[in-house]
Amino acid sequence: MTRILFSDKLDNCIARWRAAGLTVFGPVKTDTLSSYAAIEQASDFDFESVLPDRSIKDLFFPQTEPMLRYTIKKRAIETEDFTPPNGKRIIFGARPCDASGLAIDDSLFGWDYKDEYWIQRRNESVIVSIACTKADDFCLCSSLNLAPDSSTGSDVLLRPLENNNGWVVEELTDRGREAFLAIAELLQDGSDPIAPIADVPEKFDLDTCVAWLQNPENFESKFWKEISMRCIGCGSCTYLCPTCHCFDIQDEGDTYSGIRRKNWDSCSFALFTMHTSGHNPRATQSARWRQRIMHKFNYFPGTFSVNSCSGCGRCSRQCPVDMGITETLQKISTLQP
Amino acid sequence: MITQEKYRTRVKELLANNSVKMVIGYKQGSTADRRRPLFVRSFEEADELVLDSNCIGNLAGYLVTEGLLSDEKRVGIFLRPEGIRSINILAAESQLNTEQIIIFGFDTSGREVKALQGEQAGDFSGLIDSLKEKPPEKSSDALLYRIDQMNTEERFAFWKDEFSRCIKCYACRQACPMCYCRRCIVDSNQPQWINTSSHTLGNFEWNIVRAFHLAGRCVGCGNCDRACPVNIPLRFINARMAQEVFESFDHYAGTSQTQEPVLASFNKDDSETFIL
Amino acid sequence: MKIVDRHDEAPGVRTMKLEFQDRADHELFKITFRTGMFGLYGIYGEGESTFCVASPETRKDYIECTFRQSGRVTSALANADVGDLITFRGPYGNRFPIEDFYGKNLLFVSGGIALPPTRSVIWSCLDQREKFGRVTIVYGARTVADLVYKHELDEWQMRDDVELVLTVDPGGESPDWKHKVGFVPTVLEEAAPSPDNCIAVICGPPIMIKFTLISLKKLGFDEKNVYTTLENRMKCGVGKCGRCNVGSVYVCKEGPVFTAAEVARMPAADL
Repeated sequence: MTRILFSDKLDNCIARWRAAGLTVFGPVKTDTLSSYAAIEQASDFDFESVLPDRSIKDLFFPQTEPMLRYTIKKRAIETEDFTPPNGKRIIFGARPCDASGLAIDDSLFGWDYKDEYWIQRRNESVIVSIACTKADDFCLCSSLNLAPDSSTGSDVLLRPLENNNGWVVEELTDRGREAFLAIAELLQDGSDPIAPIADVPEKFDLDTCVAWLQNPENFESKFWKEISMRCIGCGSCTYLCPTCHCFDIQDEGDTYSGIRRKNWDSCSFALFTMHTSGHNPRATQSARWRQRIMHKFNYFPGTFSVNSCSGCGRCSRQCPVDMGITETLQKISTLQP
Repeated sequence: MITQEKYRTRVKELLANNSVKMVIGYKQGSTADRRRPLFVRSFEEADELVLDSNCIGNLAGYLVTEGLLSDEKRVGIFLRPEGIRSINILAAESQLNTEQIIIFGFDTSGREVKALQGEQAGDFSGLIDSLKEKPPEKSSDALLYRIDQMNTEERFAFWKDEFSRCIKCYACRQACPMCYCRRCIVDSNQPQWINTSSHTLGNFEWNIVRAFHLAGRCVGCGNCDRACPVNIPLRFINARMAQEVFESFDHYAGTSQTQEPVLASFNKDDSETFIL
Repeated sequence: MKIVDRHDEAPGVRTMKLEFQDRADHELFKITFRTGMFGLYGIYGEGESTFCVASPETRKDYIECTFRQSGRVTSALANADVGDLITFRGPYGNRFPIEDFYGKNLLFVSGGIALPPTRSVIWSCLDQREKFGRVTIVYGARTVADLVYKHELDEWQMRDDVELVLTVDPGGESPDWKHKVGFVPTVLEEAAPSPDNCIAVICGPPIMIKFTLISLKKLGFDEKNVYTTLENRMKCGVGKCGRCNVGSVYVCKEGPVFTAAEVARMPAADL
């Protein structure tokens, strides 16, 4: 016997959660774009797409975020910190790869200096993931020690029923249990069969790739130049990536008042590392693409013991020149370590 | 297939007698209908060349890659008519010397991919002139028709909504063959002309400035539109600017490598008195 | 922080002396600051810029910083006057382990605008001179005008417990220049300081560091006894924004001070 949430109860659930003070978010699709956004009713959800175009990162680390407001008066500067907007929320229908992405970035935003924006939003969000029953050519979670039903980063994991009329509920954390307590009476016991998870064939052997990346001799391999020749440095792979987290800090305003903002930035951009002197450690696009791959599969795991990639495949799916992590690692896995 | 085979053979010929150091073309991409850029330097790579109606990206931007043409060796490139127009503009703006460029022209408008006659940019002037004679098609697209019917307020609201998705990745810029500046205006901060944040003002500033920078230069290849990860229909902005420039100045971007840039040239007969 | 003094070091290079306005901030600075650390100096409306604290850990009543006016923030800082307020975030990063240098000879090698971080170490040592052996300073700049801290160079020149070797790049000398002409690594090799019981501290542009490391190796210095600071571009200073990464190293957290042995383990092409 398992606990089941039937789809027809979803509107009731939403009402209960809202009554409990939670804002409900989920995958939403419009004519132009799909993303995670606030929803009003069950019919707003898009459970059909393989995954939203935009990653879940947007809800935790927006492209632009005010950090402080300054006002300058005679010989005095007044500042006022922005705190992230308060509010508990439940993100229903997250993809397991997106949830895993959050867990990956927790390690970065939580080490040493704690990033209060990220941490507050994480603490106030309940992540309810739905195991994937569909995948496309670009999905690669299975190549990264993850799976279409990985529970990493999720507070609750739902497994779709074979009849596509509900989900088997697996509560994973206290936060998840608390949120589902509010809808406990809407759940039913049952033994309905669950749908098989999506088949995501393994695209490369990660250990082989990592061994190659860790060999210092390969840092200056001509492979990097070849693989990145067509890269146009647009950085949209990094902006759609659920784990890429580089940012810039910019002041907007005048001498009297304004706002200091934290904006996304990207290692793909030529000016990202440019020194004042004009010296640029990563002056070529191949050096920048190498940095992205090295960071995700060599440096980041070296520091945080987890790959900085959750296998969503957005980088490859939307690349204007059809590049991406998959192609690069597939090729690396065929090279001599 | 016939054109593809013909061009594969020609590419090999040119490589064999050292007439080109590289040919930029297309190969099979990661899914059945995707084609990705290919840099051909060997016969094996020439055999990977694909030419069909899915070859839609304008490859001209690769020609201004830093250092590519500085050794004065020739480079071949597969281009559709709008790509050839891009080459003319790049030459007119002193970004490249067309003598270094061997063009493998192709047209996908018919059922079969058709090879275009000629190999040098100048060889295609007749073709481009004939394209100019065909008046720009107004409202050939349902969305464009809808935009055309809007009043100013509605149109402003439409674009505000579209731009609200902009994440300032600048993929449109990077994908555009005309955006070759080593340091773009958005990367200049003394003064900070354009806000880097993707709020309403920042997004308007960027997209409108880009539209103006492309007025009279955009050939409508659609690279920006396809590159946009948040699906902003950028082609319509640029198409409209092209139409305005055509109607006001009889300017059709990229007709020849000596064409004067429309917004950067002065004519004392200009109808606008404020210019004087 | 309030600017209490400022003066020009070289064309476009300025030193500012800053005093804390908030007692608690100052107390915290006194507890945390050690030579080698850096800060983010800012002006609201323009932003923040990263450079080292150029004053030594033996003088914590104020902060001195030296910067070249080149971008939006440094231009605004250069326009700030005595009495104006600027922001300071820090001190961040690691430090030079001065205690480990006790009883050792010291060699300082520095180029151009990179004297400020070296100077912080130099004064930290000279302020407790008796704890160290011989002190040799090799400093060079592109031209005579580009030498910074000229008044302190004179002071070091006068001291008989400091050996100062000054040089300018070929073509950069003035008619009355009495010192060396040549690139820092070459002049260093000529001066040939002994590696015995010696700690070397080198700061300079990446290209100078690269060749100075080669020279020091030739002179017989052990990589573990050579220290340098990496002046990477930074924004957050607290191990988040990703800009300063070299290999797996967050320069802002794990640096900016590294031994040459540590630098050798970083991917050279990314420095």
